[in-house]
Amino acid sequence: MSAALPVEDQAPQLVPLNAIFATDFVEILVPVTTASTMREVADAVAHHVEGRRVRARPHPKVVIHRGERLAPELTVAEAGLRPLDHVTVEYDIDPRGRS
Amino acid sequence: MELLKREEWQGFVRDVDWTLTYVDDEAAYPEWHCGTGKVPREAWASWEESYKVSYPEYVATQREKEASAYAVKAALQRSSTFEHLDEGWKSATKMHFGGVALVEYAAVLGELKMARFGLSAAWRNMATFGQLDELRHAQITTFFGHEFVGKDAQYDWTLKTFHTNDWVPISLRNLFDGMIIAPNVVDLAIELPLTFETGFTNLQFVALAADALGAGDVNFANMISSIQTDEARHSQQGGPTLEILVEHDPVRAQWVIDKSFWGSARAFAALTGPAMDYYTPLEHRKQSYREFMEEWIIDQFIRTIEDYGLKKPWFWDEFMRGLDTWHHGLHMGLWYWRPTLWWRPKAGVSKDERAWLVEKYPNWETVYGDKWDVLIDNVNADNMEATLPETLPWLCSTCHLPCCNATQSRDGTWRVRNWQLNYDGRTYHFCTNACRQIFWKDRDNVNHETLIDRFLAGQIQPMDVGGILGYMGLTPDVMGDDPDYSAWTREYVGRPVEGIAVGGRS
Repeated sequence: MSAALPVEDQAPQLVPLNAIFATDFVEILVPVTTASTMREVADAVAHHVEGRRVRARPHPKVVIHRGERLAPELTVAEAGLRPLDHVTVEYDIDPRGRS
Repeated sequence: MELLKREEWQGFVRDVDWTLTYVDDEAAYPEWHCGTGKVPREAWASWEESYKVSYPEYVATQREKEASAYAVKAALQRSSTFEHLDEGWKSATKMHFGGVALVEYAAVLGELKMARFGLSAAWRNMATFGQLDELRHAQITTFFGHEFVGKDAQYDWTLKTFHTNDWVPISLRNLFDGMIIAPNVVDLAIELPLTFETGFTNLQFVALAADALGAGDVNFANMISSIQTDEARHSQQGGPTLEILVEHDPVRAQWVIDKSFWGSARAFAALTGPAMDYYTPLEHRKQSYREFMEEWIIDQFIRTIEDYGLKKPWFWDEFMRGLDTWHHGLHMGLWYWRPTLWWRPKAGVSKDERAWLVEKYPNWETVYGDKWDVLIDNVNADNMEATLPETLPWLCSTCHLPCCNATQSRDGTWRVRNWQLNYDGRTYHFCTNACRQIFWKDRDNVNHETLIDRFLAGQIQPMDVGGILGYMGLTPDVMGDDPDYSAWTREYVGRPVEGIAVGGRS
């Protein structure tokens, strides 16, 4: 039974997220998996918005969940993200430098 | 034989209630339909409409209205008026035909329910006329839209819209099922005739008829005016019902009004807002959506409810702030997800149009201009792929519209905030605080799945953009597209560009 295995050994499960990218105008559906890292989650969210509606900026991105910044190498499972959770993806810069 | 004078028989024929002896009152008028609640049964005897009409008078007037509406239509059918209408106006009419025709039919069912279960004979009498009105409205709207099917396939959605699972009719079905189909007749009379018709559509139809004339669409103006004069009469069922309910149960009266005002306001922001502030050609705009709402809807609504001793809804500040944002966000959403529409949404953000938007909404450039600029730069770089969706917008679990309402923080930044609720083992998301509060109070009545719910449950296959468009009933000949990209992008050609997507990726 995969449920008995440690998180890192389980088959990746689909985790649909409610996400918003920086100053975008709308929350969107972004499917990731339990094995996706926060770097991949940030890219998956940005894919739908960055350079399309929000001008791309040369900064790293950070995933924020319930007010907490999640480390880029953490996986969805390790970070405890659940299906239908809300995440924000921001450029990782001083908030005063935000557009 | 001398005929009786009107005033001698009117009171007699409008009140035909008698005391039931063969069946229990509860059997004939079950509470779950009649909804008297805390109002004593006998209190409904005082229900009195302010505008009285007899059946012969009704038939004579309606016959005249029909003859006139169809005569104008027949005359205009031979002209080339349609060919010269602006695409933006045509889009507003397509949206109207598809969004309204079968709601009028839902209103027939609502009026029939009041005609059967209203606890006053006078009310049932009025509702009988009301259902005849609504049947006429469903027919005239369908028929007028049908004329254009041969010229433009999008008009086919006049009848088709509500038979599809497109996200717009899902949102509207949710609103009108809650307002018309589900409630008992007391709540229904307050939600539909009072809040939606008296509060919103009756006055909007006056403005819409004027807009139609401004755009040169005499036929549409003629149809709307013909409908509006009926609305002005049958919408009066709300007042007497509210008067009696307020006297016995003001808390319920306030809640029913608050909930239906909010739902109506959300739908108006999605449909009327973009039509007024983006689709209507600049030279024909008489006022902004915000100005229209303030002048025609808000003042009148507040006066009405205060006259009945009720208060402004609890969400009033959130609603007023939303007049500067809701419809702008929804317009951008309609435009970005344009293949899901049965009309051609104009972006409407040329330099002159933006100057007008800023004049009317001083924060417009700050909140929306940056995103339109990126879209403009993508269009001018021939990077159309980046201007088309690859996923779904998140849809609110109460209004079923995209969660796209920016609010301003204390530090001055504008962001779309997440309104979340964990209930019964799952997570729900809402576009606003009030949508979340309404869901919570009304949670036992919520039974519509949003398009996101359906997608995640595997009801939409294949799980990609093609599958979603197919599920919504969109075919390539109907899918919405901007009617004229150049109109709003050409002034920006050649400006320095950075930070746009390349081949769909930044």
